Amino acid sequence: MTESALNWTVLLPVIAGGLSVWYLLPSPQRRPLAFGLLGGLIAVAGAATFLVRGFGDRVPGTVEAVVFFGFATTAIVFAGLMITNRNPARSALCFAIVVLSTCGLFLLLAAPFLSAATVIIYAGAIIVTFLFVIMLSQQDGPSNANLRSREPALATAAGFILLATLLVGLQRVYDTRPVDRAIEHARELSESAKVPPDFLARTKPMNVDTMGKEPPPLTPRATAFLAEMRSALDQVRVAVPRSESDHRLTEHRLVQDVERAIDGLESNGFRLSDEDDVRSTCRTIADGLARLQDLHRDGPPANDLARSEHGLVHPVDGGPRQLPAANVSALGRTLFTDHLLAIELAGTLLLVATVGAIAIADGFARRKEGHV
Amino acid sequence: MIPVSYYLAVGAILFALGLVGFLSRRNLIVMFLSAEMMLQGVALNFVAFSRHHGNLHGQVFTMFVIAVAACEAGIALALFLTLYRRKRSLDVSQWQDLREAGLDETRDTEPLPPQPQEEPLPHLPAAGLEPAHTEERQYV
Repeated sequence: MTESALNWTVLLPVIAGGLSVWYLLPSPQRRPLAFGLLGGLIAVAGAATFLVRGFGDRVPGTVEAVVFFGFATTAIVFAGLMITNRNPARSALCFAIVVLSTCGLFLLLAAPFLSAATVIIYAGAIIVTFLFVIMLSQQDGPSNANLRSREPALATAAGFILLATLLVGLQRVYDTRPVDRAIEHARELSESAKVPPDFLARTKPMNVDTMGKEPPPLTPRATAFLAEMRSALDQVRVAVPRSESDHRLTEHRLVQDVERAIDGLESNGFRLSDEDDVRSTCRTIADGLARLQDLHRDGPPANDLARSEHGLVHPVDGGPRQLPAANVSALGRTLFTDHLLAIELAGTLLLVATVGAIAIADGFARRKEGHV
Repeated sequence: MIPVSYYLAVGAILFALGLVGFLSRRNLIVMFLSAEMMLQGVALNFVAFSRHHGNLHGQVFTMFVIAVAACEAGIALALFLTLYRRKRSLDVSQWQDLREAGLDETRDTEPLPPQPQEEPLPHLPAAGLEPAHTEERQYV
């Protein structure tokens, strides 16, 4: 989350993109193309800035990052061209390019089989069927349905408000900066030779009645510190997976440790007498948060995959989980063991769809018109 | 390694653009292409999470998405052909009589600009008649 109330890293690409899409959508008055393209460029640049800056982690300058940004930009640019093009045949070709760039992203995500299957099915079969239908249905010349849009302003607003919501939600969950800051503050406090005085609650004069019952009131700075730790813990806790393995227990214990440490600080108060205690508790909090954040970023660790029922995963102990290198055989085994019923249903669905398509396109209409 | 959030953001953008296209375009085929693009955004999310969690269930789900999309494409294109045969147009607003009861018909307020008239093709004279050679005679 950024400090300012208006989150410009999200707002800039969304507003620029919305305006340019609204501007470029087909409408009765012909608008000059240049402004729309300029808005689109600003939107794409803003989206790239959002990716690079908005999540707080550094993008490594690797070939992977270059290829990712290349494919992502191509996909988004041609998606915009697809929905704004007046000629449906060109829209279909733009969609083919979107599919091809998505396949590139699939390859980057270690899914070579899906990538090939998508190229063959989408770009090979579905797009060609689309082009066939487009040409079959333009025997009277291009229809004037392409020359205007239904409620372009409302449609664009709906789509881009949804996009803004999604991006803000992603940023809330995946932005690492607040947690980084919290860890840094906790480290600072644990390594300081002397805890800053505005953290420390003033010890009241000895009073037999209240001693040991009432904790001394927290100073505002201490309250803010505790709130920051709590919100950081809440953010990294979301990602703790609920799998039935020992790791869940480890992570759960980690969360509990940090929680107990924060609670201890709060109930105990930052009292002058136990400075060492405050320091060690802060160290516990910082270490726990850092470990949880690693889990959050890299996904659950790989140790439990060694006894996966498929027996084909090569785990790196403690590192992030890896997908098996033999993608096709692993996919096939998953498909025909875990999802056997689903794949039978999918096959049945394809068969029924084939029969239905033939019946609709050929049989009913002609029989009614008396051709057969 | 590119974090999973980047792929999720790209998927969200594809989904939103597809939504805008589906809501605003009037050609049935372009509407359907936009719906397919929304499916692409969703598939990207599935594959990214499959990578993030280190298991293949996300990829398997994407395969089912592709299968359902193929069925959809077949049925929808067959329907489009039937609709086109009825009204000779793919304009979705031609089918407004399918709307809910009690709703007014939407009408286009802005008129379309006049289409540029195509120049008529040159007309050849009937065979056997000699055309007039007035132009050429001047050069001879």
